[in-house]
Amino acid sequence: MTTPAIEFKEVTKTYRRRFAGLEVPALTHVSFEVGAGEVCAFLGPNGAGKTTSINILMGFLYADWGQINVLGYEPGDVRAKQKIGFVPENFAFYKHLNAEKLLRFHLALAGGDMGRSIGIIRDLLFKVQLTGYEKLKIGKYSRGMVQRLGIAQALLSDPQLLVLDEPTSGLDPTGRKEVKDLIHAMKNEGKTIFLSSHILSEVEQICDRAIIISKGRLVRTGTLNELLGVGDQVEVLADQLPAEMEPLLAEWGATVERGAHGVRITVAISHKRELVEKLWAASCDVMSLVPVRSSLEDLYMKLIGPPGVPV
Amino acid sequence: MKIWKIALNTFGGFLRDRLLIVFAVLFACTVLLMMTPLLGAKAIAKAGSASQAEIMVLGMVSAIMFFVSGTGSLLAAWCAASSVAGEMKTGTILAVMARPVKRWEFLLGKYLGVMLLMSIYVIMMFGLSWLLAWIGGEKIHSATWVLLAYPMVRYALYSATAMALVTVLHPVVTMGITMIIAVAALIVAPTGQAITGNVKYLKIPLWVLLPSTSLLSEERFLAITQASLKPISWLEHITTLSYGLDYALVLLLVAMWVFHYQSLTRD
Repeated sequence: MTTPAIEFKEVTKTYRRRFAGLEVPALTHVSFEVGAGEVCAFLGPNGAGKTTSINILMGFLYADWGQINVLGYEPGDVRAKQKIGFVPENFAFYKHLNAEKLLRFHLALAGGDMGRSIGIIRDLLFKVQLTGYEKLKIGKYSRGMVQRLGIAQALLSDPQLLVLDEPTSGLDPTGRKEVKDLIHAMKNEGKTIFLSSHILSEVEQICDRAIIISKGRLVRTGTLNELLGVGDQVEVLADQLPAEMEPLLAEWGATVERGAHGVRITVAISHKRELVEKLWAASCDVMSLVPVRSSLEDLYMKLIGPPGVPV
Repeated sequence: MKIWKIALNTFGGFLRDRLLIVFAVLFACTVLLMMTPLLGAKAIAKAGSASQAEIMVLGMVSAIMFFVSGTGSLLAAWCAASSVAGEMKTGTILAVMARPVKRWEFLLGKYLGVMLLMSIYVIMMFGLSWLLAWIGGEKIHSATWVLLAYPMVRYALYSATAMALVTVLHPVVTMGITMIIAVAALIVAPTGQAITGNVKYLKIPLWVLLPSTSLLSEERFLAITQASLKPISWLEHITTLSYGLDYALVLLLVAMWVFHYQSLTRD
């Protein structure tokens, strides 16, 4: 078995206000693993402990308890950081620099080849669609441009692990798609990606695994197939439904929806074959048959609940 | 390489810092205003003897340089405190520390950035002292290196003090404590008179504990005429400067140690 890219074991962190005597538990015995080459979504409502976990993972914060391994090293270890690209939740920048100077500064810190810096920076700016803005002060960038620049700096050292804290926040739909495509490309290159996001529909499209936390506790973790199931129902789209079949469908507990494009029948997977055969026997055209699985959003709502509703 | 990059970036940030630019303009205006009494002193001294004129003008130069030099100490402390706290407040530290940079390397880089700024300040201060003496028709008799090395070591000490404090305190509180330390160090500095009464139980430990910045003051060499310029041996110079550098090094190491265990985010 290969070493996981990220390993959290019983990680606990409490924020303490020394003078006010306040203690706020941020993480309570959180354990999870992210395998090498996986794209893992880190989900949870605001204040669930996502950013705290990421800060611990990156070595910005120390956990009070537990064991953390990143690429086989302790968090904050320079050897691990050489292989990590990180995009913070709100990428902050030096106001006195432009994109080119900022990337050159980060490349120097990453120990990159400064002789090839011009080419590397040009390629990256092209990748995040900031070509032509390299000389513009970052202070004049829009939020989306800053976010894209943050992604560019994370990719500077060709990282093995990408840690993205809300990478699509502040981006318009086009920007989001670009980031999603970038993540896909990184995934195809075999990189491990750990990202926190609130946009569940996007996450579902790109992730292999999801970790859901709430109030500092792990709620659920697993691959998307494990979490959402492979589906115990199928959805059949037929051009018509003979009236004599309706009592049988009612007996099977199927749901029937009639629309402009045909009849949508959702039935238990055990009746799939029988239903299709009956439809064909009645000269109906079966246009599609797809397994039904709950969405990540459904699962999230079930586990966490809508905002403001305690679970 | 990494440390130097952080230092240069810090220095570049200072040069474009609006607050520092406003400070520089106000400061330049204040120094220009202070030149008025210098010119007045020169006019009055013309009526008296040459030696009286020398003492008066050098005294005036010393007074202006006391202000400039003291402001430099505050500037060194403020820059050191704000450069670290500012990075944590804005969050720029996160992207930097996500790179293969150790915490002590980051702090040392910030410190060297402050020292780069202060070296420019010291060179300008040196130029100003010569300009003032020239306006007054006098010449500064002290060696150049003394007027450069002593303030530099003093600023190194103030920067390290602020850096050590800001790792655990708010920058404004850090500034306040640094100023209190500076004033207290001046108060407890030996005056040549014997300390009597219970005061000695407070003064002597404080004198040992606090950084003796009056020893590191270049004004010791500015306010005196050539006739009264006390020859100071190399050993004395080396001992005094080593004391300042050692103090700064200890504080910087304390800052690095504390910073190693600090959270880099505002929790």
